[in-house]
Amino acid sequence: MDIYLSWRRPSWMRMRTTSGVRWLLATFILLYLMNQVNSQERGASHHLKCTTNNLQTWDCSWRAPLGAGRGTLYEVCVEDRPRFCYQSEKTNINIPALSPGDHEITVNPLHEFGYSMSKLIINEKDVSLIPSTPEILNLSADFSTSTLYLKWNDKGSIFSNHSNVIWEIKILRKESMELIKSVRYNTTLNGKDTVHHWSWTSDLPLECAVHHLAIRYYIDCLFPGHKEWSAWSPVKNISWIPDSQNRVYPQDKVILVGSDITFCCVSQEKVLLAQIGQKKCPLIHLDGENVAIKIHNISVSANSGTNVVFITERDMLGTVVFAGYPPDRPQKLTCETHDLKAIVCRWNPGRPTALVGPRNTSYNLSESFSGKYVRFQGVEAFMNESYQLLFQMLPNQEIYNFTLNAHNPLGWSESTLLVNITERVSPHTPTSFRVKDINSTAVTLSWHLPGNFTKINLLCQVAIKKANSIQEPRNITVKGAESSSYLVAVNKLNPYTIYTFRIRCSSETFWKWSKWSIEKQHLTTEAIPSKGPDTWREWSSDGKNLIVYWKPLPINEANGKILSYNVSCSSDEETQSLSEILDPQHKAEIQLDKDKNDYIISVVAKNSVGSSPPSKIASMEIPNDNLKVEQAVGMEKRIVLTWHPDPNMTCDYVVKWCNLSHSEPCLMDWRKVPSNSTETVIESDQFLPGVRYHFFLYGCRNQGYQLLRSIVGYIEELAPIVAPNFTVEDTSADSILVKWENIPVDQLRGFLRGYLFYFEKGERDTSKMRDFDSGRSDIKVKNITDISQKTLRIADLQGKTSYRLVLRAYTDGGMGPEKSMFVVTKENSVGLIIAILIPVAVAVLVGVVTSILCYRKREWIKETFYPDIPNPENCKALQFQKSVCEGTSAPKTLEMNPCTPNNVEVLETRSTLPKIEDTEIISPIAERPEESSDAEPENHVVVSYCPPIIEEEIPNPAADEAVGTSQVIYIDIQSMYQPQAKPDEEQEVDPAVGAGYKPQMRLPIQLAVGETAAEEDLDKTAGYRPQANVNAWNLVSPDSPRSTDSNSEIVSFGSPCSINSRQFLIPPRDEDSPKSNGGGWSFTNFFQNKPND
Amino acid sequence: MLNSTNSHRKDPQADSSVSLLPHLEAKIRQTHSLARLLTKYAEQLLQEYVQHQGDPFGQPGFSPPRLPVAGLSAPGPSHAGLPVPERLRLDAAALAALAALLELVRRRQAELNPRAPRLLRRLEDAGRQARALGAALDTVLAALGAAARGPRPEPPAPAAAGAFPAKLLGLRVCGLLRDWVSRTEGDLGQLVPGGPG
Repeated sequence: MDIYLSWRRPSWMRMRTTSGVRWLLATFILLYLMNQVNSQERGASHHLKCTTNNLQTWDCSWRAPLGAGRGTLYEVCVEDRPRFCYQSEKTNINIPALSPGDHEITVNPLHEFGYSMSKLIINEKDVSLIPSTPEILNLSADFSTSTLYLKWNDKGSIFSNHSNVIWEIKILRKESMELIKSVRYNTTLNGKDTVHHWSWTSDLPLECAVHHLAIRYYIDCLFPGHKEWSAWSPVKNISWIPDSQNRVYPQDKVILVGSDITFCCVSQEKVLLAQIGQKKCPLIHLDGENVAIKIHNISVSANSGTNVVFITERDMLGTVVFAGYPPDRPQKLTCETHDLKAIVCRWNPGRPTALVGPRNTSYNLSESFSGKYVRFQGVEAFMNESYQLLFQMLPNQEIYNFTLNAHNPLGWSESTLLVNITERVSPHTPTSFRVKDINSTAVTLSWHLPGNFTKINLLCQVAIKKANSIQEPRNITVKGAESSSYLVAVNKLNPYTIYTFRIRCSSETFWKWSKWSIEKQHLTTEAIPSKGPDTWREWSSDGKNLIVYWKPLPINEANGKILSYNVSCSSDEETQSLSEILDPQHKAEIQLDKDKNDYIISVVAKNSVGSSPPSKIASMEIPNDNLKVEQAVGMEKRIVLTWHPDPNMTCDYVVKWCNLSHSEPCLMDWRKVPSNSTETVIESDQFLPGVRYHFFLYGCRNQGYQLLRSIVGYIEELAPIVAPNFTVEDTSADSILVKWENIPVDQLRGFLRGYLFYFEKGERDTSKMRDFDSGRSDIKVKNITDISQKTLRIADLQGKTSYRLVLRAYTDGGMGPEKSMFVVTKENSVGLIIAILIPVAVAVLVGVVTSILCYRKREWIKETFYPDIPNPENCKALQFQKSVCEGTSAPKTLEMNPCTPNNVEVLETRSTLPKIEDTEIISPIAERPEESSDAEPENHVVVSYCPPIIEEEIPNPAADEAVGTSQVIYIDIQSMYQPQAKPDEEQEVDPAVGAGYKPQMRLPIQLAVGETAAEEDLDKTAGYRPQANVNAWNLVSPDSPRSTDSNSEIVSFGSPCSINSRQFLIPPRDEDSPKSNGGGWSFTNFFQNKPND
Repeated sequence: MLNSTNSHRKDPQADSSVSLLPHLEAKIRQTHSLARLLTKYAEQLLQEYVQHQGDPFGQPGFSPPRLPVAGLSAPGPSHAGLPVPERLRLDAAALAALAALLELVRRRQAELNPRAPRLLRRLEDAGRQARALGAALDTVLAALGAAARGPRPEPPAPAAAGAFPAKLLGLRVCGLLRDWVSRTEGDLGQLVPGGPG
């Protein structure tokens, strides 16, 4: 505020003058300062300050002059026109608000000597608008919600004009009055006193600390002066009057998940620890021993809430907070009626609130048209559980507008539904469901349905089901009634059939079906059979009997239980009826003469109600000369038969079939096909793959049946289960002739497409594991597609070679098993003859030459090798006394001792065994026991002959335990000239029956290396010792037929003492054998088999 | 086993080593067996109760002060010197009070844990069982000639305003049930032939 001051100059100052400008300025400043000093000292009023709190009066104040006493009276005049003055003993005065513009105001202290009057200029702009101090009418608190309620008067009546007011409210906490909140609150002044209300919710429970509150305000109006805030109102406070108990606040509060909350503990003793659940929390100290904890973003609580615990030295205090959610909007709200008496509304609560018990969501279902409502006070429901409420229907009201309101301590939500209840009918389950017969094809159904359905029609569905068929639903509309029984007829049923009935209902304006009623089984009554049985006939092989077959009627044609059949036979001459044939017999045999008459056979089925129409069939068979047996193969247990249309066939075609392997008559089943058909599919569970069936297609004419086609076929072809039996008919040095037999049909399991013949070189042991399907180049294969071929000659073979022959049959179903045998071709005889004659000729030539030479040089040889020896007896010097050998004891010299002969003469007895020829030698000892015991699947034929073997054992207990037997085997070669194909097992020769050469003693043969020492001991004690170690003998004789048997440990060839050897002993008169050109005899043996001289 | 005459039974407080009639002996055995069974049930109830109160209930070291329960005191060591019938009389009174308190606890738990049917069923059963055991004790006392002294007053309902004090009260009541049933078993054991008495 600017104050313009003026004063009256003292007279002594006016008299002073100066001349220079500079001087004047200095003087002026000096004078001013002096005047100022005078004014202070002498006292002139100034610093006038004016304020207003209502814009109507100004409160102007000034500073009292120095030295002015308390009782100074001031005269304040407003020098306006008219001028008006006021007197005041104070230094302020209230004056009416002045008009805009400058106003001169004089303040003159009266009766005070020496004080001058002050003149001041004041303008409205210099006036401050300071509202009067507000006063709080009331401050209260709701401790349960920690809310403060403030009430005050704005005293708006003192302002004539409308003005905006800003209220500032400050909240202070604790005794130290810490400012915790300052808020502004806008109102308007409307010329009247208005009481304002304001509330504030504290985060800290009000019980735990004293809360203070004060207000001030600011008037925002059109006032040119300075506007200021009012002074603060007197502070009001709210405090809790604690009882003697320690407590924790808030108690059992329900809050939204994720929000913040402060808990406090009013305690008389020091709190040591605070925790929420398991989590410890830092303490916030309040007044005294009170403490608080602040929880941020609280998580959802368990059903029993979240525990907050404060622990003191002697006590444990706590509270429970329930953090949850407001109710979700009720979902899937649907309303329907079961009986048009009460409406059932169902809904899903949606998201769980996590609040249970008293905090659980409660629902209120209200109907807006009627204003009625029902309440649902929650049962405890888990998530996704459906709630429901019953609302009683109102008379004559069909449209309902429902509002479902859900609320809990954290909030509320609602769903609405507008529904025409007559379109929402879901009746109760029909009860008292019954079935009664009308006739064999119709029944009546009755049921009871509770409810008032008089205003609607009911749509009911009857489910009709019979055995082995799908359920047939039939819809029926009936007029609704009130809690009534309903009755409908169901027709078009089959006689003598078990039906299962059940029923459910809805309204004609379909909403939902009711639940199905209980099922009722019902057997309809019988009716006469609708058709005669399906009939066929077969003549016996002698043509004297006709066997009539018929199939049992299906249940839908029998219309009851078939009790018997009547069969009759009629011809032009007579009609013959058989006696009644009781079910279940389905054939009859009639003695008729096939060549005498044609007959019509009639079969009638009878049940308890009546007889079926007769089923007739002609007995005559029309011959067909152009009949060929065809082949067919089916697929997946079915076979398709087709034929060309034949206009001569006036009635049905008949296809009959049978299993070829079964005995006569050939009839497994038959099927009748309409005469306009040209194909049929024969399908039967009795068909088996790999079984040959015979199908016959008959055409039906008026006078009888004609066989049109005869077909053999398989539903599915399989591979043969056996191999063809084959034998070797002939063998030469370069070829083999093989012959085989047919495979029986039942083992063929398909149409035979050919044979595969394999052959390769090989002997039994080496080739038994070889696989012919591996495509090896040394296997030769011949595919015989001509199934009538039964022999095969294999040429270009090698002589004296073992071949393995394999034969397999195949069908379109696959390759059958194989059968094999081994055959050895004969040796080439020309080479053998050359091999014998050349050495003989050479030997003769050498002998002749040697004889000639010896003859010519006989004298020289005698002189050289056999000179004449002088007779010592003729020497005198050597004369001895006689009888020196007769026991004289006198010494003798050069006396030869003739008394101890030292040589052994071996006499060999020639055997009278037959001539021996051989192509292969098999020693029973050379056969390993394991091999001999193996059962060979193949027929291993070895063309050989083993003569009887004579075996002699020399008792030698020491050697018996360590060695094997020693044998010399004589093999008759002569038998080899007769090739034989024998199974392997037949080639085993019993060594016990062998006979022939007998060695003088047995030579022990060592089987184990560890027994060498025993053998040496044995050698020392044995009388005869071979010249060489037996083990060092060469076991392989290059010209031995069994030279390939290198594994044998007990066979020895070429031994000089004939021990353990296998030799051919050629009788002296071999050349006399009628078949001496056989193989198996080697030239080397000729020399080796000489006696060991 | 107590071997004495009927005259001794008229003054059961004088000596517990009195002879009992066979039917009384059977009743004592039966009641003792019941008490032993209820001791096990009370322990199970306590465990079940703790499980449903949330943390820190059930945590190791959580031991709220044993606040006094209106109308029911804890079995104290001062009772040790009392004669067996007097101790049984105290047991019967405590069991009667416990039956009422258990019903109060069940009601509060029905609000806090309405979805814990097993706990609520156990609380309900425990109240009935405590009442049954108390009645059996009364029968034994009457047979011993030491009938209970007049009708027992219903214990005042404890002021458990908040959920937390209610939880603490329930915990305390369940603990007292276990303690009193166990003590009843021990007291009856002194009367059972072959028992410690």
